[in-house]
Amino acid sequence: MKKFTLVCLALVLVPLMAFAQGQSDTAAKESGPVTLTIWGRDIPDTAADHIYVHDLIEGFQKANPDIKLEYIPLGDPGLADKTKITMAAGVDQLPEIVQSWGGSVMGGYADAGRLLDLTSELASIPGSKAASDAMSWKGKTYGVAPFFAVAGIFLNEDIFARNGLKAPTTIVEMEAVCDTLLAKGIQPFACGAKDKWPALAMYMYLVNRYGGNAFDRAQARTLSFADDAFVNAAKTYQMWVKKGYFGTKPLGEAYGDAQQQMAIGKAAMMVTGSWMCSQFSNKEFTDQKIGFYAFPVVTGGVGKVTDVMGMTDIGFFATKNAEAKKDAVVRFFKYAMSVEACASEPGRICAVPGVPAKAELTGMASKVFAASQSVQFWWDQDLPPAVTSPLNDTIQSFFLPSSDVASSLKAFEELVIDEMGPVKK
Amino acid sequence: MVQSIQIFDPIKTKKTAKRNRAIFVSLCIFPSLLFLVMFMYYPIVETFRLSFMKSSGLGQDRFIGLDNYRKLFVSEEFRAGLVHVLTWAFWSIVIQLPLAFFIAFSLTFYVNRVSKPMRAIYYMANIMPSAITAMLGKFVFSPNNGILNNLGNQFGWDWLSNMDFLGSERLAFWSVFAVATWAYTGFPIIYLMARIEQMPKEFKEAAELDGVTGWKYAWYILLPNLVYPLRILAVLCTIGSLKLFDLPYMMTTGGPGHATVTLGISLYRQGFINWQYGRASAIGVIIFLLSLIFTIIQFSGKKEAA
Amino acid sequence: MRTGFKLHRAHYGWIEVFITIILVLFALTVIVPMCLPLLFVFKTQLEYSYDPWSLPKHITVKNFLEAWDAIKIGEGLANTLLVSLGVVVLAVPCAALAGYVFARYHSKVTEVLFYAILVCYFIPIQMVLIPLYKFNIKLGLSNTLLGLILPMAAFNIPFWVLIYRSFFHTLPKDLGDAACIDGAGHATTFFRIMLPLASPATTLALLLIFIAAWSDYFLSLIMLNDQKLFTMQLRVSQFLNAYGVDRMPRYAAAAIISMSPTVILYIIGHKWVIKGTLAGALKE
Repeated sequence: MKKFTLVCLALVLVPLMAFAQGQSDTAAKESGPVTLTIWGRDIPDTAADHIYVHDLIEGFQKANPDIKLEYIPLGDPGLADKTKITMAAGVDQLPEIVQSWGGSVMGGYADAGRLLDLTSELASIPGSKAASDAMSWKGKTYGVAPFFAVAGIFLNEDIFARNGLKAPTTIVEMEAVCDTLLAKGIQPFACGAKDKWPALAMYMYLVNRYGGNAFDRAQARTLSFADDAFVNAAKTYQMWVKKGYFGTKPLGEAYGDAQQQMAIGKAAMMVTGSWMCSQFSNKEFTDQKIGFYAFPVVTGGVGKVTDVMGMTDIGFFATKNAEAKKDAVVRFFKYAMSVEACASEPGRICAVPGVPAKAELTGMASKVFAASQSVQFWWDQDLPPAVTSPLNDTIQSFFLPSSDVASSLKAFEELVIDEMGPVKK
Repeated sequence: MVQSIQIFDPIKTKKTAKRNRAIFVSLCIFPSLLFLVMFMYYPIVETFRLSFMKSSGLGQDRFIGLDNYRKLFVSEEFRAGLVHVLTWAFWSIVIQLPLAFFIAFSLTFYVNRVSKPMRAIYYMANIMPSAITAMLGKFVFSPNNGILNNLGNQFGWDWLSNMDFLGSERLAFWSVFAVATWAYTGFPIIYLMARIEQMPKEFKEAAELDGVTGWKYAWYILLPNLVYPLRILAVLCTIGSLKLFDLPYMMTTGGPGHATVTLGISLYRQGFINWQYGRASAIGVIIFLLSLIFTIIQFSGKKEAA
Repeated sequence: MRTGFKLHRAHYGWIEVFITIILVLFALTVIVPMCLPLLFVFKTQLEYSYDPWSLPKHITVKNFLEAWDAIKIGEGLANTLLVSLGVVVLAVPCAALAGYVFARYHSKVTEVLFYAILVCYFIPIQMVLIPLYKFNIKLGLSNTLLGLILPMAAFNIPFWVLIYRSFFHTLPKDLGDAACIDGAGHATTFFRIMLPLASPATTLALLLIFIAAWSDYFLSLIMLNDQKLFTMQLRVSQFLNAYGVDRMPRYAAAAIISMSPTVILYIIGHKWVIKGTLAGALKE
């Protein structure tokens, strides 16, 4: 009997306590200064990767004591999942600001009316056009991107120097470099193909160098994804995998493994985004000297060295729920894009003019970005969400020795036809 | 408490008894049913409804009939996922159940100073969250730092160090399966242990009198009586396999290619990454129906153990 | 209490030794992976990248400190405890009562209701999230711990109804009749006789539902918006996802921190757990 009463008591008390705690918290939130809730990716601590966010929050609140920031780090799949589900339920539960890579995912939310149009308010903020395009959709701007990432080749300067190699400027040179490295038993490229998306970086460049603006045309549906431009690039990619340029177990290597290979000098090059700059210049992560270079061109080919692939590194957009606090949000965005706030970031390329690069590696990456004349948004942020994971699947299939790249691309094209319509003549 | 003997009217008592019984039954079922009706029925109905729609999850749904299903059955990823979960279900039943029985019986039979603490350890098998299991699994099979490849390097076993456990299409499925078996066998073991302990004493005494030795006892007497629990475990294994998502997604994201994709991964991908919520719902419906079919097959036409 | 049974073991000795060794090996496969993080947590990232397998050259507690700091155990622990206890307290009685009735009060209606409850187990959790979230908002429970506890309890119920039903099935039919003759009502029979006999099921339910609620990530992520309400597992995941699996030493620290409370609780209570799963067999 005693146990029974205890159980009943617990049955009643526990929910009451939980409910009460929940209520008291929401009550506390409503009084006081204007509060902006931000959903972000990284923990705001002083680690090299996170210091920008940390300083941003502290700095902004110091400079604007009438605005309180509540920043909630949700991590990588967590942020995307939670945002998606909360967006699905409507506008009310959304925070005011969400960290995002912009692009088509943000565009989907914009089309569904979940975002706050800030085009006029943000137009006056100085910054790179690529960055503000990233946070715009169909002509309206919904947020800011203080940091922009471009894809390029990270290469291990020590290994290159030891073997008398120079950073390649043409594809032919790059293949020669790879052959030399292979002969010395060094893995030429670290990729991380197990996670699928890292393989996209190299492919985007190959298509561009061989086929110019093939992707733009395919996206606008004036070219098929099964066209020669894509197939030839894929064939080259597959040939390189077969030759062993990506190591003996390219598909077992996760993105983290690839980073590690670079960090301890087991791999010589890595084609990925410049967000890795802070890791690769961090003495705690690697003791190798690593440089960043633009992707080589094809001699006599279509793509130029100033065509770069890029995407938002750190960006934020505002949700419709922030309408009442528009001023506070704009102030926050302006501060996020200020030289003062961006100065603390050690690794990422800043989209705000006048911010000096803190690390040498970042300086090299910034130079590539500054020299760029055309920026193509990373494909899996640019295409509609319905085709992005099939795209990455297709590209990973190039790593499978037995796959027929032409038919993989054909299958992908059929999916694109379903989602985006057929090729217009 | 003192029980008094009551004198009663037989007919009225029968009616009251029936009514009391009905009330008791309803009261017992009501809380569970309430929870489920409130929190699960609406989602289940929504899933069925959305499976006939083209939906991004953000509104603007469009009715498209069976199109989602048609597209699924043509999709290579879905077909691979289906084959994988069915294979998984089959092999988990074939491997986990005998293994669990072996361990459960040994632990209850061979009671000595060593095996007693083992029991406590087996209960811990369920403690690790799946994220950490996946991380450890990746670690064991990782190509550069992984345990197995390193072992191969140390001993010069090239065949071992050359195996690409997570990257080869042939091996990836079995690597993930191995990790899953490790993670999911815990429950069958402790469930069977509890059931074996619950066996009536008469069985043991009768067997003792007949001089039946340990493993014969297990085979001829215990097993037939454990058919019902084993059936339940088989159902749980199957449904778990059909829903499987965490481990393969975190270890290989369904790759390489479609080598380790499951229906659960397809569902997550379609729903949360591709924004094809209608198609994800269709996959959910298929998982649901398959589970239902398997359960009905397992539970029908059997006598419950008396 | 003596467990197991002594039957004539004709090959006593060799087989027993052999099998005990196998049991120990299997038990090692349970324990060793749990101890692996310990190997990494004391290394620096660079040291780990170069040589994951050797013993650390210097012991760094930096990873632990960072993880501990970021996870803010105190708040998270209280929340998680509340949630886990809440789920257990709600789910176990519901499942026990329903399982009992489905096992012993068989009728066409109860069969249908049993399936009605069981089918809820067939649906994968990702499918349920969006409608559930919308529903929680309607109930005013979004961003509260109760809004997390109730659905979680609902998720656990079908599975445990099935398990409880199976345990109650094996109890002899005449047990109920004997009680009836003594004038015991349905409820008394249940609480005094049947439930104690099904204590293995109850012990398992308490243990496993608690662990499941403790390590839950996805549902907590979706239902909670306030950092103050975040459970410990959620905070651990925040930390992990911020650094990625690639930073194994930090990951190991977070993994250890996330598993420790459960392991400690289990070490404290394991005798009770084992007793609980045996108790049923000894009563008659």
